[in-house]
Amino acid sequence: MKTLAYYLTLILVLVLFPSLSDGEERVDFATQIKPLLSDRCFVCHGPDEQERKGDLRLDLKEDALEVIVPGKPQESLFFKRIAHEDPEERMPPMDSKRQLSAEEIQLIKRWIQQGAEWSDHWAFNSIKAPEIPKIKNQAWIKDPLDAFIGLQHEKNGFQPAPETSKEYWIRRVTFDLTGLPPSLEEIDAFLADKSDKAYEKVVDRLLASKRYGERMTSDWLDVARYSDTFGYQVDRDRYVWPWRDYVLSAFNKNLPFDQFIKEQLAGDLIPNADDNQILATTFNRLHPQKVEGGSVPEEFRVEYVADRVETFSTAFLGLAMGCARCHDHKYDPISQKEYYQLFAYFNTIDEAGLYSYFTNSTPTPTLRLKSDAQKKQIASIEKEIQSTTDQVQKRTTTSTKEFQAWLEAQRKEYKPEVQGQIFHLDFEKKPGGKNQSVPGVQGKAAKLTGDDGIQTKVGNFNRNQPFSIGIWIQTPDVKERAVVLHRSRAWTDSASRGYQLLIEEGRLSFSLIHFWPGNAIRVATKEKLTPKKWYHVTLTYDGSSRASGLKIFLDGKLPPLRIVRDHLYKNITGSGGNHIRLGERFRDKGFKDGLVDELKVFDRQLSALEVKNLFDEKSLKTLLSKDHQKLSSEDKKFLLELYLFRVDPGYQKLIKDLYERRSRRSKAVDGLQEIMVMEEMKEKRDTFVLNRGAYDQPQAKVESEVPSLFKDLVNKAPKNRLELAEWLTDPQHPLTARVTVNRFWQMMFGEGLVRTPEDFGSQGLPPTHPQLLDHLSIEFIRNGWNVKALLKRMALSATYRQSSRVTPKLLEKDPENLWLARSPSHRWQAEMIRDNVLATSGLLVEKLGGKPARPYEVAVSFKPVGKDRGEGLYRRSVYTYWKRTAPAPTMRTLDASKRDVCRVKRERTSSPLQAFVLLNDPQVVEASRALGEKLIQKHGEKNEAALIELFRLLTSRKPKASEIKILQTLYEGQLKGFQADPKSRDQYLNVGEKKAPKGISLDRLAALATVANMLYSFDESVTKR
Amino acid sequence: MNSQANRCTGYDALSQLSRRRFLETFGMGLGGVAFSQLFNQASASEGGILNQVHHRPKAKRVIFLCQSGGPSHLDLFDHKPLLKEKHGTELPDSIRKGQRLTAMSGNQASLPLAGSPFKFEQRGQSGAWISEILPHTAKVVDQLCFVKSLYTEAINHGPAVTYIQTGSQFPGRPSMGAWLSYGLGSENKDLPGFVVLVTKNKGGQPLVSRFWGSGFLPSRFQGVRFRSGKDPVLYLSNPSGVSGQSRREMLDALKALHDLQLENGADPLIETRIAQYELAYRMQMSIPEVTNLSDEPDSIYDLYGKDARNPGTYAANCLLARRLAERGVRFIQLYHQGWDQHGGLMGGIKNQCRETDQASAALIQDLSQRGLLEDTLVIWGGEFGRTNYSQGKLNGNNFGRDHHPRCFTMWMAGGGIQPGTSYGQTDAFGYNVAENPVHLHDFQATILHLLGIDHERLTFKYQGRHFRLTDVHGKVIKPILA
Repeated sequence: MKTLAYYLTLILVLVLFPSLSDGEERVDFATQIKPLLSDRCFVCHGPDEQERKGDLRLDLKEDALEVIVPGKPQESLFFKRIAHEDPEERMPPMDSKRQLSAEEIQLIKRWIQQGAEWSDHWAFNSIKAPEIPKIKNQAWIKDPLDAFIGLQHEKNGFQPAPETSKEYWIRRVTFDLTGLPPSLEEIDAFLADKSDKAYEKVVDRLLASKRYGERMTSDWLDVARYSDTFGYQVDRDRYVWPWRDYVLSAFNKNLPFDQFIKEQLAGDLIPNADDNQILATTFNRLHPQKVEGGSVPEEFRVEYVADRVETFSTAFLGLAMGCARCHDHKYDPISQKEYYQLFAYFNTIDEAGLYSYFTNSTPTPTLRLKSDAQKKQIASIEKEIQSTTDQVQKRTTTSTKEFQAWLEAQRKEYKPEVQGQIFHLDFEKKPGGKNQSVPGVQGKAAKLTGDDGIQTKVGNFNRNQPFSIGIWIQTPDVKERAVVLHRSRAWTDSASRGYQLLIEEGRLSFSLIHFWPGNAIRVATKEKLTPKKWYHVTLTYDGSSRASGLKIFLDGKLPPLRIVRDHLYKNITGSGGNHIRLGERFRDKGFKDGLVDELKVFDRQLSALEVKNLFDEKSLKTLLSKDHQKLSSEDKKFLLELYLFRVDPGYQKLIKDLYERRSRRSKAVDGLQEIMVMEEMKEKRDTFVLNRGAYDQPQAKVESEVPSLFKDLVNKAPKNRLELAEWLTDPQHPLTARVTVNRFWQMMFGEGLVRTPEDFGSQGLPPTHPQLLDHLSIEFIRNGWNVKALLKRMALSATYRQSSRVTPKLLEKDPENLWLARSPSHRWQAEMIRDNVLATSGLLVEKLGGKPARPYEVAVSFKPVGKDRGEGLYRRSVYTYWKRTAPAPTMRTLDASKRDVCRVKRERTSSPLQAFVLLNDPQVVEASRALGEKLIQKHGEKNEAALIELFRLLTSRKPKASEIKILQTLYEGQLKGFQADPKSRDQYLNVGEKKAPKGISLDRLAALATVANMLYSFDESVTKR
Repeated sequence: MNSQANRCTGYDALSQLSRRRFLETFGMGLGGVAFSQLFNQASASEGGILNQVHHRPKAKRVIFLCQSGGPSHLDLFDHKPLLKEKHGTELPDSIRKGQRLTAMSGNQASLPLAGSPFKFEQRGQSGAWISEILPHTAKVVDQLCFVKSLYTEAINHGPAVTYIQTGSQFPGRPSMGAWLSYGLGSENKDLPGFVVLVTKNKGGQPLVSRFWGSGFLPSRFQGVRFRSGKDPVLYLSNPSGVSGQSRREMLDALKALHDLQLENGADPLIETRIAQYELAYRMQMSIPEVTNLSDEPDSIYDLYGKDARNPGTYAANCLLARRLAERGVRFIQLYHQGWDQHGGLMGGIKNQCRETDQASAALIQDLSQRGLLEDTLVIWGGEFGRTNYSQGKLNGNNFGRDHHPRCFTMWMAGGGIQPGTSYGQTDAFGYNVAENPVHLHDFQATILHLLGIDHERLTFKYQGRHFRLTDVHGKVIKPILA
C-alpha cells in the first residue's frame, strides 16, 4: 500500500505542475521530495544525533548539498547511493523497512536534474500575507477566501459546484455553528427573507446563540482530553466541570483566542488574575491520574508532565513532540534536550503522582471555589484572626505589671508539673507484634520491627487545636525514610492526611497534612540524628495552620528548623487512622530497629520551659523556685511564656478566641469545593533530561526554554508559563495561528487545509492551499484572534455555499475533495446526531452548563453508572458524563474521541454498531415516540401533513412525492401490525422514562414513531449535505 | 499498482481510507469496495491492510485466556522446592539485587520467603510439573508449551496489562487484537473480527476498555465486547414490541429512500450506508446464533463443566470462544479477574483454579477433537508473576504474594506451537530468569509470527511515526515453534 501522502502528492503533481516546456514536470521539493527524505532517510540522516550514520544530515540544506550536486544526479554521491546497483551499497540499507521505489528514485533524479531546489519546511517559515489572487470567475467570490479556492479550481480545470439550496445551507450552517438542526420556523423565515442580508442574518443569529458555545466546547473537550473521571484503572469521579463551563462561556463571549490560550496555559500567572482565569488552567490538569495501590508516584508524576507537553505541542504547535522524550526527534528539528526544556515549564507545580485512595481530597494545587458571599465571609474571618494574632503577638513581647507581680509573688506557688497530659505510654509492658522490649531511658523501651505498629487511642487533633507530643527515640542507622509516629491512614494512599513525625534522609520532619504535597505544612531539622544515641523529641503545634507554628525540640532545645512546606488550607482529620501510631504505616517504611520510650501526648501547646522539663524533669522546679534576683533574662523569657500559656487570663482568652475564629474559618473553608489548577511552586523543582524518558534516570539539568527552531521567528525567550503563552500567541509565531485556523477550517469543511491537523511537521501532509492558510491566519491575528468573525467568513463564503452533490466525473478527478469544487459530505459528529434526535423530538432540555448529565447510555457502558432521572436524560451531549475507562458507549460508537489524550481530529467510520444505536437505543426510540406524539397533537388525523412535517423536521427540506409514498407505505404497514398486536404496541410505547400519552390513538402513535425511528437513520438526517 | 505491494508494510494510517477512493479513481466498482469499509470482514487479503501475509501462517486465529491480576507462577507451574525449605527466611539480597518492588511491599522491613502450600507432580509424557490445584490442565499438558521465563518491566496491573496487550505501558496504543484485525481482517463477514468476553461478577483489579481498544487505529478494529446479558452487542435487539416483520419493513423503507437518493448518481456515502444497515440486520441473526449455546450437546457441557450452562461464566465463555473460533473470528480474548492474591493466597488461588481449570483444559480438548487446534493458537496467562516472599506477615501457610515482573509463566497451545514442551527457566528461588528470557515484546512478536506476520512490518503511521505492536523491540522465540 502507498501512503495517502503519496497519492496526494501524485495528484498535486499532476494538477499543480503542468508540463514544463521540455515535457518534464517540475518537481516540488516541499511536497514531493522532502516527504521522501523525511520518511526514508531522516531516521539515520536526520536531526537525531544519536542515531546519525556516516555524519550525514539530509534535513539541512548545507549538509545535504555536500552530497548533492544540483543539476548532476550522476555526480551526486547521494543519488549514486540510492540508485546503486549493488544492493549492499544501495541506500536505504537492505534491512530498512522503508525502501525507495523505482518511481521515487526517478523523481529524486529529476529533482536533482532540475537544480535540486531546496526550501525550508513550510510550517517553520513565518506567515506572510499573500496577495489575494485575481481569478477569472470574479462573480463567484463572496469572500476573499473564495479567490484562493477559485484559483485552484481554475488551475485544475474545475468549475465551482452550483450553489446549494437554501434549505441545505441553513441546515448545514446551523449544525456547523450550533450543533443542532434549524427549526421549521427558522427555515421558513430564511426562505421568506429575500434580502441581501438573509444569509448574514442567519449566521449572526447562530453566532449569538448560546448553543454556539456548546457546539464549540464539544471539540475543545477532545483537545483538552476532558473527562469527568481520573482515568487509568480505578477511574474515580473528579470535579472538573466548572472548567468546561469556563470554555463554554469563553466561546460564547467570543474571548479572543490568544487570550483563551493564555488563560488556559497560564491564567494563574496573569497579574491580578481573577478566579475565572485561574480556573482556566484546569486545562493542564485534565490528563489521566493514577491511584492504583503500589504505584511509584514519581513515575506517574513525570507522565502527567509529559502529557502536558504532548497536549501543548499537539494542540497549539501541531507538532508531535512525544518522540523527543526518549531521543532526538527523527523528523523534525527538536532535540531531546529541547523536549525537556519545554517539559520544565510544566514541571513546577506542587503535585502528587497519585491521587488519594482513602480520601476525596482534590489533588493539589487547587482553587477553592467560593461564591462572592463566601469570599466576603472568609475574608472577614481572616481579618479577625489576623487582629487577634496581632494582639497575641503584642502580649507575648510586652512584659506586663501582672507578670512582674506573678514573678515576684505567685510564681513559687505554681505546681512544677507539665499540665495537659492526656496520654502516657511508658513501654514497661511488652509491646505488641514482634516488637521487642529492651532496656530504655526509663525502665524499658520498645524496639520496633518496622512492620508492627504500636497503636494508641489518642491524638485525633484538628488543625486548629494546639497539641504537643514528647517521646524518646533512638535510630539504629541513618534512615533514608522512617515513620516514627503518625496519625493517618496511609502514606500516598491517603496523601498522608493527618500529622506525622518522620525521619527523612537522617533528619526529623514534622508535618500537618491535608493532601501532600500541596496542602500541608512541614518543618525539618537541619542536622542529621546521630545513630544509636537517645534523643528526646518534643513536637509542639500552636493551631495556626502555619509552618511557623510547628516546632521540633531535641533534648529540650529548639534546633534550627527548615520550612519545607507552608500551605495548609484544609482539615487534617478524617480518612481513618484516627489515633497516634508508632513505628509503622500502611505501605510506608517503618522505623525498623528503632527504639522508642516514654510517649506523652498533650492537648495543648507546651511552653519551651515545659518542653525542657519533659527532657530533664527539673527545669520547671528550678526556675519556679529560683530567687527573683537570680533570674536571668533568658529565665524570664521562659517564665513569661509559661505565665502567658498557663496563668494570664487575658492571654488565654485570646487563645480561646483564636481557636473559635479558626474553627469558624475551618467551617467556612473545609467544605469548599476545590478544583485542580496550575500554581507555581515556591521553590522550583529542577528538571533533568531523562534517559529514554524514564523517570528514574535523570541526566543533565536543564532550564525552561523553547525549541531553537523558533529562535529567528519569535523574538522572545520565555522564562515561565505565562511568558511561554505570550511567546505562543506572539503574532510572529509561525504555528499557533495556522494550527488554530486550520482546525476551524476543518470544523466547517470537514477536513483541514492541512489534513494532518496533529502534525504540521515533516511527516505531516502539506497544506492543499498554503496561501489561503496564511491569508486566514494573518487576518485572524489582525482581527484580534476573533473566532466568530473567522467562522462567519467561512460560513458566508461561496466555497461553503456550494452544493455537495458529487458527479462521477468530479469523484474521479478529485476523490478526496482536495480542491473543494463541491461542499464536503460526511456523517455529523456523535453529539450532533444525538442532539438532533432530542431537539427534533422536543425532548431536549436546554440549560447552559452545570454538572454532567447521565443519559441512558451511561447505564449500559462497560462500567455502568446510574443514569439520571428526568432532565439529565435529555440534555445536550456535550454535558454527558465522561468516564475515561468506559466512555459513553453510544457516543463512542459514533466515533466520539475517547478523550484519553489530546485529539484534534475525529475519525469517521461506518459500522453496523452505529445502525443499532439509531434503530434500537432507548434514547432514539423514546424520542421517536415523542416526535410522533407531537405530530399527532399538531396534525390530528391528517397523516400526510404529519409525515411531511416529520420529513422536514429531520432533513430540513420538503419530501418529494416518491418519498412521501415510501413513508406512507411504511406507516400503513406498521399501523396494521400494531393494530393486530396491541401488546407489542404497548411495549414499544413504553420504552424510556417518558410516559406514553393518553387520549390519542396508540396504534397511530406507534406507527408514526416507527417512521420517525426509521427516518433518524436516513442519509440526510445524519449526513452533512 | 506499485512495485511496493509485495513488500507492503501497511505503514500508512490513511491507506485504508484512501484505498477505496483510489480504486474508485481507477474505475473499479463502488458497491463491493464500499462494503469492505464496513467491518474488518472478508478474507485476509481483502479485509486487512496486508495484501498478503509475510510468510505462511501456522495459526489463523487466537484465543487468549487472560488471567487478570497476575496468577502466581510459583503455585501453579513453576515448582520451587527450595522455597519450601527456606519458608519464613529472608529473601537474600543476592537474589533481589536491588530490584524495584511495588510500593505495597517495597517498604516492608522484612521479606520472608514463602513456599507453595500446594503439591506438585510431573504429569503426562512430557513430565511437566504442575500443581495439584490444576487437575484438569494436568491432563492436557502434553498439548501445551509452558513458557516459564516471561518477564516485563511493569509492576502494577494497569501498566502491565496495557503493556501485554498494546506493547506499551501507557495508554494510547492499539491492542494486539486490533493490530491483527487491522492486518488480517476477519474471516466472517457477519461477525466482528475481534471479540472480548469477560467473566461476569468477578471483582479484582478493574478491566478497562483500552485493553482491547484500537488506540490510533480506526475504531472498527477495536475489540467488540460481548455482554453476557440479553444483547451481546449494545442495542443488538429490536426494541421491545418491534417484531421482525416491523423491522424488515422499516429497513425496506430506509433502503427505498436511499435508493431514491442514488438515482441522482452514485454516492459512496449512501452505498456504504445501505450496506451498513444490511450488515446490521444480518448481525441481528448471526450474533444470537453464535452466542446461543443451547444447541450444544450434554457431552460438551460435561467436558466444560456445569458452569458452562450459566452464561457469562468463564466456562461458558470458553465454550463461546470455541463457537466464535469455528466461525472464523480472528481474535477472541477472555478475561477472568481475581488472580491478585496479595493476601490469603491459598484459598484465593484455589478458587480461581476451580473456576477456570476445567474449562481451559476442555477448550484444548474440544478444539483438538474438532481439528481446530491445529490452526488456533490458545494462550493462557496473566500480566506478571508473583513474589516468592510474603507480602505482609507470614503465618504458616496464611500469606499473600505481591506483584512480580521478573519472571512468570504462560502456556500456549495449538497453531504452530511445539506441544508437550517447556521453555525457559527461573532460578531456584523462582525470582529471576535463569535461562532463555522471553520479554513481552518477544511473546508478541511470536504471536504475530505464527499468524504469518513479521512484527516489524505491520506498522501504522501516526503523528509522523511508524508505530508497531512491539515498539522497537521483540524477537520471535523460534524454539517453541512446531
